[in-house]
Amino acid sequence: MSAILEFDHVARAYVQDVPVLKDVTFSLAGGEVVGLLGRNGSGKTTLIHIAMGLLFPQKGSVRAFGLSPTENAVEVKKRIGFVAEDQVLPVSSSVAELIAFHRYLFSRWDEALERQILDRFKLARNSKISKLSKGQSRAVALLLAICHTPELLILDEPAAGLDPAARRDFLEVAIQFLNRAGSTILYSSHYMNDIERMGSRVVMLEGGKVYLDASVDRLREDYCLALVSMEMVPDAKRLEQFPGCVRARGHYGVWHTVFAGNPETVKALLEQSLGSNNIRCERLTLEELFVELMGDM
Amino acid sequence: MQILIRVESELPLYRQIMGQIIEGLAVGRLRRGEKLPSHRDLAEELVIAPLTVKKAYDELEAQGFIETQRGRGTFVSARLPKLKMADQREEIDAAARKLLSLAYMVGLELRDVIAILKKAEGELMQGAHAGHAGGGEES
Repeated sequence: MSAILEFDHVARAYVQDVPVLKDVTFSLAGGEVVGLLGRNGSGKTTLIHIAMGLLFPQKGSVRAFGLSPTENAVEVKKRIGFVAEDQVLPVSSSVAELIAFHRYLFSRWDEALERQILDRFKLARNSKISKLSKGQSRAVALLLAICHTPELLILDEPAAGLDPAARRDFLEVAIQFLNRAGSTILYSSHYMNDIERMGSRVVMLEGGKVYLDASVDRLREDYCLALVSMEMVPDAKRLEQFPGCVRARGHYGVWHTVFAGNPETVKALLEQSLGSNNIRCERLTLEELFVELMGDM
Repeated sequence: MQILIRVESELPLYRQIMGQIIEGLAVGRLRRGEKLPSHRDLAEELVIAPLTVKKAYDELEAQGFIETQRGRGTFVSARLPKLKMADQREEIDAAARKLLSLAYMVGLELRDVIAILKKAEGELMQGAHAGHAGGGEES
């Protein structure tokens, strides 16, 4: 199957010689849901803007449905739904006016989904945007992004600042949409729980490149954290020489060491090599893995 | 379905679904031959990706716990397989060590722990019989 969205050696700098993205390559196949992760400033939003055709890549190329988002801007945008973190809806418009405007732009419109979202978030059609709660206005943004049943949905921190219940509501609607339309989704968020609920694959950006690209289940099952005291091993280099060692991060006298491998095997290997019999070795949640891989040394 | 997804658990989501369906069978919350929700419906109920539920169903089907009948849906198998010892051994051993260390910390002895296990078995069997009533006779 050909890729729905394809980044090929993408580079982008805002200030000359200070690249935000240096060399990013990955693609999304049809029906895939990919969580885009990275620390603040890692270039997630820049990459999303490049996918949307809002920015040119200075090197490399991007293709959506095999087309260039800048050269075929209208064609590509018609097939994409987009919710941005800082998306501002026109405050003096009513919900109904915004829906009417978007319906006019797109040839398809899922009225059942529209009604479902309005009911779910208790949205009245005649409400002014300025009168909506934060959760409701995010719901309107989602409604406008998905009711034309886009083939590709791009969500950039869509639920930032929402309370946990509102975030769950948002996620529920996104999953209902996924069920109906089977669309491809690129989803950037700092909420690892949401990423894990929604996505099957994770792409982590770091230093302008793809640092990690793996399925969520693989990250859960094939990575573990070993805690080794600095008294036992003063130099992290010793740990980094073990097969499967990804990163050792010093934290309050303990090396938090991420390994690719299952905890039992890694524990046995470390205990045998270091002559200890109680090295703690555990599986990680996605949030813990993010902290261990992206956290400062 | 009485399934609770905990993203904070150390198990991936599809394994949590598998484990809870198998546990449901063991304690009689789910019966042989019972119809399960479609993977899409369960995904909406649990608010997780449909593919994740599908992966859990596929694995459970491969192990013989559930079966898909074309056009009718997914059902708990009429004949349930035994869990593979090799897959479970590690977890059983770990649970045993944890149980014993907890018991020793509060001053219990091995025979107290055995008594507790026997009591638990009684409760589990009661639940299983209540759950299987009317559903398990045909096998």
